[in-house]
Amino acid sequence: MNKNRLFVTFCGVVLVALLLAACQPAATEAPTAAPTEAPTEAPTEAPTAAPTEAPVGETYKIGFAPAITGPGASLGDPEHQTGKMLAEKLMTEGVVGPDGVMHPVEIIIYDTETNPDAAVSVVRKMIEEDKVQVVVAGTTSGVSMAIVPIATEAGVAYISMASAGAIVNDPETGAVREWVFKTAQDNYASAKWQADYITAMGWTSVCHIYQNSGYGNDTFKQATTAFGEAGITIAYSAAFESAATEFPALAEVGTSGCQAVVVGAIPPASSTVSVAIREQYPDIPIIHGHGTCNQDHIDLMGSDVAEGMVSPCGKVMVADTLPDDDPQKEIVTQYAADYTAFTGKPVNTFGGHGWDALMLAVNALATLPDGQDLATQRAGVRDAIENGVTGWPGISGVYNLSAEDHFSLDYLSLVFVKVVDGKWVYYPQEEWAK
Amino acid sequence: MKLSATENRWKSLRMPAIALALIAVILYLGAQKNFGPVQYAQFIADGLRGGAIYAMIAMGFVIVYNVTGVINFAQGAFVMLGAMLAVTFHEMEMPFSPALRLIVSVILSIAATTLIGVLVERLTIHPARFSSPLTLIIITVGVFITIQGLALLVWGPDAHIFPSFTTLEMADKVFRVNGVVIKAQGFWIWGITAIVLIWLAFFFEKTLLGKAMRACAVNQRAARLVGIRFDRMSLLAFAMASALGAISGIIIAPLLRPSFDIGLNLGLKGFVAAIIGGLVNPVGAVLGGLMLGLLENISAGVTKAGMRDIYAYSLLILTLLFRPQGLLGAKKTAVETGGESRA
Repeated sequence: MNKNRLFVTFCGVVLVALLLAACQPAATEAPTAAPTEAPTEAPTEAPTAAPTEAPVGETYKIGFAPAITGPGASLGDPEHQTGKMLAEKLMTEGVVGPDGVMHPVEIIIYDTETNPDAAVSVVRKMIEEDKVQVVVAGTTSGVSMAIVPIATEAGVAYISMASAGAIVNDPETGAVREWVFKTAQDNYASAKWQADYITAMGWTSVCHIYQNSGYGNDTFKQATTAFGEAGITIAYSAAFESAATEFPALAEVGTSGCQAVVVGAIPPASSTVSVAIREQYPDIPIIHGHGTCNQDHIDLMGSDVAEGMVSPCGKVMVADTLPDDDPQKEIVTQYAADYTAFTGKPVNTFGGHGWDALMLAVNALATLPDGQDLATQRAGVRDAIENGVTGWPGISGVYNLSAEDHFSLDYLSLVFVKVVDGKWVYYPQEEWAK
Repeated sequence: MKLSATENRWKSLRMPAIALALIAVILYLGAQKNFGPVQYAQFIADGLRGGAIYAMIAMGFVIVYNVTGVINFAQGAFVMLGAMLAVTFHEMEMPFSPALRLIVSVILSIAATTLIGVLVERLTIHPARFSSPLTLIIITVGVFITIQGLALLVWGPDAHIFPSFTTLEMADKVFRVNGVVIKAQGFWIWGITAIVLIWLAFFFEKTLLGKAMRACAVNQRAARLVGIRFDRMSLLAFAMASALGAISGIIIAPLLRPSFDIGLNLGLKGFVAAIIGGLVNPVGAVLGGLMLGLLENISAGVTKAGMRDIYAYSLLILTLLFRPQGLLGAKKTAVETGGESRA
């Protein structure tokens, strides 16, 4: 009797677990439904949609895996939304190859769960079963690093949406990884901006408070390098726990006598720590990194607290206050409007990394002539990304990819921004000293 | 074994000696960093505030453990549910003034979390009540993972906002006393923890129901023989623990930005506090919580702040090694009696 009951309970728990597991693919239903629809719908619709009545070729597939769940979900969600936004359009409009053949493009969406193991298995699946031409995956650097060998081995071009330099360059030899590209600026770019700002303001000694996470530790490491180069002393540095409500780290901010606090954290931790710093030190300037470029960061601390805080950010955050002669003005304004219309939420830079990665893939697919086999197509996509992207304005910056550089955005592709009345505002260098 | 007089004296002096040595080390390290009274006062104020939360969560562990012999690792999930449900109810449209809206959402959240606690007991613990405590503990871990997974599906990964009780806005009122910053929410936390503790003391000492629950803790079989319905007591224990979890989640919600994953860390800290307090005594749980809050903040402050959690969990290991009965526990260890009474 007992045993039976226990067994029933156990079955119940297993059922719930299965349900949970089943719910996750539900979020990515589109890919399973799409392939069955594609061959039947595309030929009938395409002639009406495309005015030139281009002949319709095979459907190209992009394997797309952001972190829809897990600790990276707050960054992966905007990427996911961007992917969904582009998927509708690409399925019907597709790309037209150099020979005039139109190919619908299908974005097959998976979830990496911010987990390297899960990411590796979905990337294997998209390469082996879905037979994708190109892989766009990895919201966080750790997950992206796990995907690198899988894509390289299979000979598939892989575009990461994460920031670490090691994704595209082997950290030991510095060699460019043949099959791998990325679209997000790393923390060194952020630290360079911070160093420029600190120097311009005439400060020589700062405190660095960072979240005890991969991101936070890297901000500190990069700041040590960039600030050292600029001759800025880090008078005190300390880590804090992401979920903390007390911050013993802040005691020494006062006693060390630093002139400004640099914070390396992402929301919500970046917001709670900012509130705590403001409460204890009402006047000390606070400088954030580009991980905070998200309206949540301001909303979660309140615009009163956030007022005057500065950080380097992607241009998309300040699309409307960007100068008109900026080469990206048009594209970031358009993307910001599309994103807000599609999701109903304010735009952020992470969705931009997703847009860049997907559009690099799409543009490369457009260079393929009809009728190639899969391996040739995959190699063709890689070559097109490496050689065919020059002066291309994306959301994160203007790309100039080459065999020597699979990322190509320097720190100036970010802009410096300031919080004014609860909004991010473009804050050009000319205004700093005032 | 009989101890000689000197050994006996050493035994009685050991704890104060260790405490004094610890304070000396802390003051020495603090002096290296030019810490004055202001810094220590800040650590103590923050530590007592965090500690009160741990204490409240620890009381939930203690009540369930006392009655059922189970360490309920789903306690952290109740804390998260309390905070997230309060946020959800508060975001709903209600034709009330802001203050009333806060009160209503708090009450609804506690009620809903208690209901979930009762369901958890009926659906998972009750059917397996004749299994070994280890099985039951693993079930509670499963319950925690399930609730957290469901919470992610329901609320998504975003952090939410719950207003502070004093200002009814996100920004809390802050008192500055000679450079020491004390949040108004801290007073709410201390006050509510004190009220809950007093009520629990009254409940366990003076009411028949409370005495029946204590009887279950002392000897389950004897309690049944005198007509106490054990399964009702177990249900009541889970109801009280989930309500306590909800309250602690709600009172800390304005200090953090609640999201689906806050339960694990808070639940584990509450568990550490319960172990320090001896796991059988609500008063011990409160002392354990306050001590944990103080020690983790002060020791992290005078050494490296990033090591705050390491100090907290080291304290757990040290307690289990050198004082397994906890601060206020009897000579016999909590874990041992738990095993025996169920055997």
